[in-house]
Amino acid sequence: MPEQPYEPERAIAGTGMGGQMDLGASEAVTLEKPPGPDGAAPEDKPRSLWSDAWHDLRRNPVFLVSALVILFLVVISLWPSLIASGSPLKCDLAKAQEGSQPGHPFGFDGQGCDVYTRTVYGARTSVAVGVLATLGVALLGSVFGGLAGYFGGAGDAVLSRITDVFFAIPVVLGGLVLLSVITSNTVWPVIGFIVLLGWPQISRIARGSVITAKQNDYVQAARALGASHTRLLLRHIAPNAIAPVIVVATIALGTYISLEATLSFLGVGLKPPSVSWGIDISAASPYIRNAPHALLWPSGALAITVLAFIMLGDAVRDALDPKLR
Amino acid sequence: MAEPILEVRGLVKHYPLTTGILFKKQVGAVKAVDGVDFHLDRGETLGIVGESGCGKSTVAKMLVNLERPTAGEIRYKGEDITRLSGRALKAVRRNIQMVFQDPYTSLNPRMTVGDIIGEAYEIHPEAAPKGDRRARVRELLDVVGLNPEYINRYPHQFSGGQRQRIGIARGLALRPEIIVADEPVSALDVSVQAQVINLMGRLQDEFDLSYLFIAHDLSIVRHISDRVGVMYLGRIVETGRDAEIYDHPTHPYTQALLSAVPVPDPEARERRERIILTGDVPSPTNIPSGCRFRTRCWKARERCALEVPALAVPAEFRYARGPAAHDSACHFAEEKRVVPPAEEGAGPVQGPSPGEGPFAEGEGPSAGGPGASEGEEPGTVGPRRRGAHREDGEGGADGG
Amino acid sequence: MLLEVRDLHVEFRTRDGVAKAVNGVSYGVDAGETLAVLGESGSGKSVTAQTIMGILDTPPGKVTGGQILFEGRDLLTLKEEERRKVRGAGMAMIFQDALSSLNPVLTVGDQLGEMFTVHRGMSRKDARAKAVELMDRVRIPGARERVRQYPHQFSGGMRQRIMIAMAIALEPRLVIADEPTTALDVTVQAQVMDLLAELRREYRMGLILITHDLGVVADVADRIAVMYAGRIVETAPVHDIYKAPAHPYTRGLLDSIPRLDQKGRQLYAIKGLPPSLTRIPPGCAFHPRCPMARDVCRTDVPPLYEVTDAPSERGSACHFWRECLHG
Repeated sequence: MPEQPYEPERAIAGTGMGGQMDLGASEAVTLEKPPGPDGAAPEDKPRSLWSDAWHDLRRNPVFLVSALVILFLVVISLWPSLIASGSPLKCDLAKAQEGSQPGHPFGFDGQGCDVYTRTVYGARTSVAVGVLATLGVALLGSVFGGLAGYFGGAGDAVLSRITDVFFAIPVVLGGLVLLSVITSNTVWPVIGFIVLLGWPQISRIARGSVITAKQNDYVQAARALGASHTRLLLRHIAPNAIAPVIVVATIALGTYISLEATLSFLGVGLKPPSVSWGIDISAASPYIRNAPHALLWPSGALAITVLAFIMLGDAVRDALDPKLR
Repeated sequence: MAEPILEVRGLVKHYPLTTGILFKKQVGAVKAVDGVDFHLDRGETLGIVGESGCGKSTVAKMLVNLERPTAGEIRYKGEDITRLSGRALKAVRRNIQMVFQDPYTSLNPRMTVGDIIGEAYEIHPEAAPKGDRRARVRELLDVVGLNPEYINRYPHQFSGGQRQRIGIARGLALRPEIIVADEPVSALDVSVQAQVINLMGRLQDEFDLSYLFIAHDLSIVRHISDRVGVMYLGRIVETGRDAEIYDHPTHPYTQALLSAVPVPDPEARERRERIILTGDVPSPTNIPSGCRFRTRCWKARERCALEVPALAVPAEFRYARGPAAHDSACHFAEEKRVVPPAEEGAGPVQGPSPGEGPFAEGEGPSAGGPGASEGEEPGTVGPRRRGAHREDGEGGADGG
Repeated sequence: MLLEVRDLHVEFRTRDGVAKAVNGVSYGVDAGETLAVLGESGSGKSVTAQTIMGILDTPPGKVTGGQILFEGRDLLTLKEEERRKVRGAGMAMIFQDALSSLNPVLTVGDQLGEMFTVHRGMSRKDARAKAVELMDRVRIPGARERVRQYPHQFSGGMRQRIMIAMAIALEPRLVIADEPTTALDVTVQAQVMDLLAELRREYRMGLILITHDLGVVADVADRIAVMYAGRIVETAPVHDIYKAPAHPYTRGLLDSIPRLDQKGRQLYAIKGLPPSLTRIPPGCAFHPRCPMARDVCRTDVPPLYEVTDAPSERGSACHFWRECLHG
């Protein structure tokens, strides 16, 4: 008898786990599903797309940096007073355009308001618009697109034409026209406008992804068992079709933030006395020669925020779709 | 004769070809299935063979109500199920289940094995009381030769053969009477195919199942089927008992098909007559008039273009009682043996003393085999199990 | 010998360690001979072929040892440029999936003609004429008209013929066909195999046929090499192996296929699953599934023993080949 007979069955039985993780790999010749580390019994923890994605994301520096930035943004938009003691609306014209000084690291803008405080408070608007608009867009788009993709037929044809129409509307021009008639000075009209123009994009993605998912044999198998439409959609199709929607929505979030800034810059988004990076950029642009810092800080914050969300979306896409790597 | 459990009459499925975006106009049709009749008796296996695009998978989908027939009847115990809906349809579905071809796409990757198999009970709550379901799923895993402990695993943790076992367990969950299997082993490796085929054979005895077994591999179909139907371009062209079709084919297409199958016996190379068909299968949008096989048939004459041959016992064999007297849709049917008869006892392996040694049928592995798998051979096999065969190897080997 | 592979080793780096796809494979093909390499997925049969052709993806693949002698020259020591010259003119490959192996945006005439404009420096007009001639030779009806068509306008069998035409365009001495008919229907499969056999005779090419189908092998091969877990477990002339295999794996495979000419009873099934290439069992890789395995099989890797009892030249990598051979 050799010292260590190779008995895979027994070895695996001893750990109380199965040794099947590697079997897929043995069938597919090469590089697919991982067994556990050599010799050891593979972990029994169920692995899914999400856990695999999380495994990849945790090791991705792009994801870590962007997630940290976003976390920071969310925290300061919920509790801006944590790092800014003053009020963004307390301005002193006498200090207009002054540079950095103790207690006011970013200096003052054309109205004599503290740029640091306004930049911190501006995050709230941006994050609120970005997150709420994305939620609205994703919800509306995936419901419409998902249903159209699933049921097909005339409804699908009509929806596809409607999305074509929306794609034809120039965003900024549409914003100038639609938002200029609204007097309310809250984030809601801006969010509403973004949702209105944004959902067709998600709807297309969701539609395509549902059409792909519904052709899978496991959907047919569930249908053959007699599963209802609700069950098919929620249990079989949605979990397998949601990944592209999440990816596109994350990337879109960044662009929505910049869209809000654009609209506010143009004077049709938020208006003073609301606080928004777009308003500040707009207000500071006439004084760019004398007080560039008043333009620099809100613009910088905006750029970093948008970049963080787009990078996050990229990282999530890579993790969810290994084929794109 | 007892009433067949399933009877199909004049089954047709045409997919319309349309143009236009909002206002569609039909410009033609893909005639995937174009008038198919057959019946399935209780406890038997009907094999359907045919090349890709012949419509065999579409027939399967209509039987389990994944596609609605354009015309025709599917009678389950005398009742036409094509017009059923709602509760009545759901009740019939319990009794006709399907096993899919591709074990990689037929299991939802986001669900555990327990959820995949147990979903049948969620959809049909009357089939099993709530507290009982997990136990039933475990039992099913055991029956198909998988370790019941794997109930919480995800499909990708299994090999192809094991996944197909999961697919079979799902098909069995509702204790159906009929299983429609669409190419259940064609995606598997040769050594694993035999395991799955043996499993299906055992389950048929154990659960008194009737199989409709669809495949392109003629050897496998012969192995598992009692009767065989040969499909070409949306129709069955010849049907009969397995020996009638394989040893006494009368339709030229069947003869060509059989003669083309490579036989794993190099000695047969010289003895075999090969019928090499010319050309390709015509498009199902544009089916030839008369006999649909005539464009590739070496026997075709004028009559073949004018008259559609009926699927019936050809006139020349009608009064002869013999294996050639079976349904064949050909005007000029004649018997022709294309598969050379196997020599007596000529299994592919001929030891000096057949029936002995480790490879003899029904014998377990000899001493010294990896013992761990032995005791784990998935137990609960019913009393009607055929002998102590070795088909559980795959499940057993990792059943530790 | 036209091609001789000697003790070839190929590894793949994977997330979970090194997958040993090919572990010391040796085989040879003579001019005019058909060698069938038989194995299931993961046996290393395709990786060996890709290595011979020099189309192995590196990384993740890596040749870690061995020689590939083609007409006496070791291909593994050649520079990439010289190797490219061998491909096409010296050896060519036919793939399983003809649709994805042909460029969808070029006509088949352009793709066939390219072989001549690139390798032979012909003018476009001459190359086009050559393309028509080739399509005639692989018996594509209406070659003169169809030369201007795109791959998707051909049926599966016709596309495979185009692949074959491309492979034989420069009259190579060796053709490697990797599952050339697996994707085809059985009646078309017979047409394509017939064509391949005829061309092989006509040009006296060596043919390596990679397949998992024991039926196809019996129909066309002269010699056969059975692979399992990256090794050759048995090699023999095709008539002998079907009569009396000398390795339990070959024997199990032959017993496990249903037959067309007789009604099967219970099929023999090889128990268990092929091993993961990252965790090949020590000793004989087949021992966990082998009904004849003994202690020595778990420790000692069996060499390819010469099967001395047989009248022909054969080998078996089983410690107990004699027992297996004699039942």
